[in-house]
Amino acid sequence: MNTLFIASGVAILLLMLLTLYRAIAGPTAIDRLMAVNVIGTKTTVMLVIIGTIFHWLEMFVDIALAYALLNFIVTIATARYFHQRKNFTAAGFGLRHRKGGAEQ
Amino acid sequence: MIWQFDFIILALALICAVASISLKDLLSAAIVFGAYSFVMCLLWTEMGAVDVAFTEAAVGAGVSTVFFLAAVLHTSRQVKPRRHGRFFYKFIGAAAALAIGGVLLAASADFPTWGDPASPASIHVSPHYIINTIPDTAVPNVVTSVLADYRGFDTMFETSVIFVAGLAVLAILGRFGRRTRDEAPAEFAAVPVAGQSPIIQAACRIMVPFMQLFALYVLAHGHHSPGGGFQGGVILAASFILIAISYDLRAMIGRLRERWNMVFASLGVMIYAGTGALCLLLGANFLDYSVLHRILPATSPIMARSHGMLAVEVGVCFTVMAVMVLIYVNIASHGKSDKGL
Repeated sequence: MNTLFIASGVAILLLMLLTLYRAIAGPTAIDRLMAVNVIGTKTTVMLVIIGTIFHWLEMFVDIALAYALLNFIVTIATARYFHQRKNFTAAGFGLRHRKGGAEQ
Repeated sequence: MIWQFDFIILALALICAVASISLKDLLSAAIVFGAYSFVMCLLWTEMGAVDVAFTEAAVGAGVSTVFFLAAVLHTSRQVKPRRHGRFFYKFIGAAAALAIGGVLLAASADFPTWGDPASPASIHVSPHYIINTIPDTAVPNVVTSVLADYRGFDTMFETSVIFVAGLAVLAILGRFGRRTRDEAPAEFAAVPVAGQSPIIQAACRIMVPFMQLFALYVLAHGHHSPGGGFQGGVILAASFILIAISYDLRAMIGRLRERWNMVFASLGVMIYAGTGALCLLLGANFLDYSVLHRILPATSPIMARSHGMLAVEVGVCFTVMAVMVLIYVNIASHGKSDKGL
């Protein structure tokens, strides 16, 4: 049974590596945000899987719950950032960097 | 420790760390840094350090990235373009970093291997707490008893440091004299303000009470499971920050006035130090909770230590919650407390 959980954990971690490519290479900040959101969701699953492997699930469910509750705050905060900046252009999302770094 | 996971998690952590310091777009760097804290939480969980992992989960996933975003909002999104041609300085920097890193790596060869039962820490320190915690304090979670009882002094000054950090943010960013603070609280508008999503507002409004309930559970259940005052306080603060993000800052300040927030911040430190002083008044050492059984009804000295820990955890929770909200309000609104992220 443990082999199954370890195998699925390794699979999820490899998927996190793939998602991390989008988080780092992603041309816009929105791409990175989505990728990090996916990584956060996978982290929640990984916490429960690790708890199952340790036969100590009740300890890890609390952490996974805290993650699930707090994970999306960053997403909403970033959305509000773009809303506050009122910068819905390609440059505002980070597609092309304007020279000088000044932005409205 | 599960070796199959180790390599991948360490690779993830390294890639995230390098990426978050090398990205030129600071907003993206903050987001990737959030991914780094996810991965570090996984690493600690996998090593069995659940309390540390919980703190990282609450702080990294909940508030620190929001602080970074708020700081980026009010400063600049781009890093300053560096002047090129300073090869000499770059060389000195790289040489110093490599030298220090090499010395640290060489020193790490002398460390005992991870989880070595013959290492000094496992022989002298850990068994003492593992054997004595239940007979001394009746608290199953050894980490909580070490933090709040055996090393109570350390935690008290950590709480004070958090309080001082809040004061420092207020002193640097807070704008005094301009009385926009503590105006009439803005009610939750029935019709959302233009540009704010009613879906997000409704969802957050439903979630906030459950988050606060969960925070109280984490605080109160810290004796038996990972968690405690610090984690509970951060989750409590995150629920207020969620109100501020989904509605606006005034709606949050209407629910938690800044003046009351400051009262909570200092009240937490006072509860902690006051519990210690109470022990002193009852004739024992500072923070020696066992003497509290004289004033607590129907407790033994052992259970009094457990209850004393709960009291100081409540103090830590107050201070952490108030200071996190204070830092958010001041960074997000540039000290003006009018509108934030």
